Amino acid sequence: MIAGVRLARRLEVDPRRQNITRLLGAAAGLLLAGLLLLLIGRSPFTILSDSIEAIWSKRGVENVLRQAVPIVMCALGVALSLRMRVWNIGSDGQFLFGAFCALGISINVDAPDPVLLVLMAVAGALGGALWILVPALARAYWGVNEIITTLLLNFVALELIKWASLGFWRDTKSQVTKSTVLVEATLPRMWGFERLSIAVLVPVVITIVLFLVFRATTVGYEIDMIGGNARAARFAGVNVPRRIVTVMLITGSIAGLAGMLQLTGVPGSQAMGEGFSSNFGLSGFIVAALAGAAFAGVPIAGLFIAAMFYAGLVLQTKGLSVYIVLAIYAVVLIGVAIGEVAARYDLVRPRPHHVDVPPSAPAALTPTGPTP
Amino acid sequence: MPIAVEARSISKSFGGVLCLDDVSLELRAGEVHALLGENGAGKTTLSNILAGIYRADSGSIVIDGVEHSFGSPSQAIAAGIGMVHQHFRLVAPMTVAENLHLGWSKTPTIVTPRKLEASARRLMDEIGLYVDPTARIWQLSVGEQQRVEILRVLARGAKVLILDEPTAVLTAHEAQDLFRVMRQLVASGRTAVFISHKLGEVLEISDRITVLRNSRHIVTRGTAGATPRELARLMTGEEREFSVAEREATGPALLEVEDLCVLNERGMPALRDVTLTVRAGEILGIAGVSGNGQTELAEAICGLRQVGSGHVRIAGSDVTNATTRQVTSLGVGHIPEDRIGVGLVSSASVTNNAIMRHYMTAELAAGRRLKRDASRRFAERMVEAGRVQTRSVDAPAGQMSGGNQQRLVARREAMVSDKVLVAGHPTRGLDVHATQQVQAAMVERRDSGCAVLMISDDLDEVLLMSDRVAVMYEGRVMGVFSRAACDREEIGLLMGGHTTDHIDNVDTAGTVGA
Repeated sequence: MIAGVRLARRLEVDPRRQNITRLLGAAAGLLLAGLLLLLIGRSPFTILSDSIEAIWSKRGVENVLRQAVPIVMCALGVALSLRMRVWNIGSDGQFLFGAFCALGISINVDAPDPVLLVLMAVAGALGGALWILVPALARAYWGVNEIITTLLLNFVALELIKWASLGFWRDTKSQVTKSTVLVEATLPRMWGFERLSIAVLVPVVITIVLFLVFRATTVGYEIDMIGGNARAARFAGVNVPRRIVTVMLITGSIAGLAGMLQLTGVPGSQAMGEGFSSNFGLSGFIVAALAGAAFAGVPIAGLFIAAMFYAGLVLQTKGLSVYIVLAIYAVVLIGVAIGEVAARYDLVRPRPHHVDVPPSAPAALTPTGPTP
Repeated sequence: MPIAVEARSISKSFGGVLCLDDVSLELRAGEVHALLGENGAGKTTLSNILAGIYRADSGSIVIDGVEHSFGSPSQAIAAGIGMVHQHFRLVAPMTVAENLHLGWSKTPTIVTPRKLEASARRLMDEIGLYVDPTARIWQLSVGEQQRVEILRVLARGAKVLILDEPTAVLTAHEAQDLFRVMRQLVASGRTAVFISHKLGEVLEISDRITVLRNSRHIVTRGTAGATPRELARLMTGEEREFSVAEREATGPALLEVEDLCVLNERGMPALRDVTLTVRAGEILGIAGVSGNGQTELAEAICGLRQVGSGHVRIAGSDVTNATTRQVTSLGVGHIPEDRIGVGLVSSASVTNNAIMRHYMTAELAAGRRLKRDASRRFAERMVEAGRVQTRSVDAPAGQMSGGNQQRLVARREAMVSDKVLVAGHPTRGLDVHATQQVQAAMVERRDSGCAVLMISDDLDEVLLMSDRVAVMYEGRVMGVFSRAACDREEIGLLMGGHTTDHIDNVDTAGTVGA
């Protein structure tokens, strides 16, 4: 330890302090990333100004917001399940199956656009819920580990989409071979934007609702109790398995709805194929972890990640290797994560002691460790 | 006897709270030295300083004329002081021999199971304490695990062994075994420091007693000639007599259990045709060694365990296999045996723990909306009424001391128990003062017309509190007696499963289901 200074764990973590340490962590991460760039002979300042310029344009803001929608929604679902100590790793699968169900409605139902969109949203949410139903029941009633079941179902969903895009829903008219037909209806644009739909409002609404549910309802209280000590929740009269199933279905439906929003709200994502989800679920997991499963923090962390991803894309077009971009992501994220943990500790200098072991002490009595 | 260790004017504070105030202690070689005091008196802090876990703010530890200030437990043990903690630091899936050698500088670098086993046996021969070295920790009883802990500390050369409330986790029989071990240790010239607040045990095993109160040293005296009453007065600083007048209840039967059969986790019968009745205004004490179906009885009554056959009625209405919430809403409180593990969410605030039974009531909720301000006020009232000491009702419940956590649960459950209170070992782990508080609370419930079912493996407590006593053994009720008709010896025999040939004084209100 440096000059006798040591770490002491704090009893309580002050959230404001934690936000500061997170920012410091991100800054340290960026600094390290800058050194990395210097090492490969690129100017970190040019890269930084290029990134900021790219993000801080109308096109950049649109792109970041659009990409943040699925990430934030998946993250909200994950954060919700984490409040109950349930790990839903399957947002990607629920996202895909939600979009799949919405597309099914679009293909099979003939209705005016607004009606169709509402039906598709319902189908997306139900589809996401359906995709997590079996893991939810298995976890709640037989204690089957949900990490494994939800994760594996991601691959099933991926294969299902592949099958649809190559087989039963394949777009026979288009040149693209691995894609389904296009969706029939799209969401209206946001006022003042060209390539941003009203989908961007949905995660905001869900964040507010979840925040209020946990702040001021008995349901939120019960979920927190299950997360804290499921045996105590049962003792207090909560039907724990039923709550677990309900909450898991809700997390699935949020991810499923995100899939529908992607399908109907993002130009270029109006058909399903292999690249339909770019690991939104996984990014959502990182976002939920960065936000410490606090709902208010999820959109902020989500925007941060989306902006970083967009900057990465722009930098790649400027000739920066994708591996360097990935390394920068990693260094920054690790910085934030360290910042979060750092808030739980204090640096303390122990008071000097006026009694020490004299050097003449018999060997058997000399403490083995170093004396201060 | 020579002095083994001397602690001189030790002071220690945590976050501005003084936990030890100028305390001195002298430990002699070859003695069992009892450290007596209430929860929070400073016993554990003092022993943690001796064992190198905490560093004293001021004062010194002197061994053979050399002053020490330990920076870590390994420094303390190198100087000859080792501690056996209340919660064992053993690795459950590993063998006894492996645990003994874990993290020890004298463990050879290259080991085989056979080598470790042989070395463990050698150690056991040297010390004179035996546990099967090939057994895995999880296979051992709590008493045997404790023996492994003791062996581990002694193997590292401890001359002074500090035992922090060692009997709290032991059965009466295991405690006697431990006492034999302690006598054997001190006979070989070592010192045992015995921390406890159980007066009977302290008088039985110790040679000298040091009493701490409110972080200060009160007295050190020889055990010979000390009386329980005198020690209790020294510990609490006041003289108290606690007695409960026996009452014969004639009120309606509020809790009726009829031919109840219940299985335990392993699918074995835990309750066999148990029939009991508790009337309004009486305390029925369940005497018995832990693990004879008492826990399952409490859980079955409160809707926490599936009933196989038989019936449970609360104030006449059948609640067999009803949900916990249905049972609670009829006015049943339950102080669970494992208060911290079952009755509390340690990470949640005191408020959120206080409202656990009431959060659905009109006072705290409007529909699904939880009234946070009302909840806070509710918790503040509960904390005040239950004399729970906490920084704030917003602080996590797990940050309070164990005694305060217990008080919070006891108070909360007393508040819902309009008709029935089921209390599982309600005073276990509490000091004299807190015990009396909880006992007084149960008497208060009884006097206000509640039926109290009190489970305890402390026969003194059962005989002190109960209006009637039921003895349980292997899931059966061996007999029900009025307190006046209780014969200690007979109850002791029944607790051990010995049926007496004729039981004349069986009370008519409860039937013997054997």
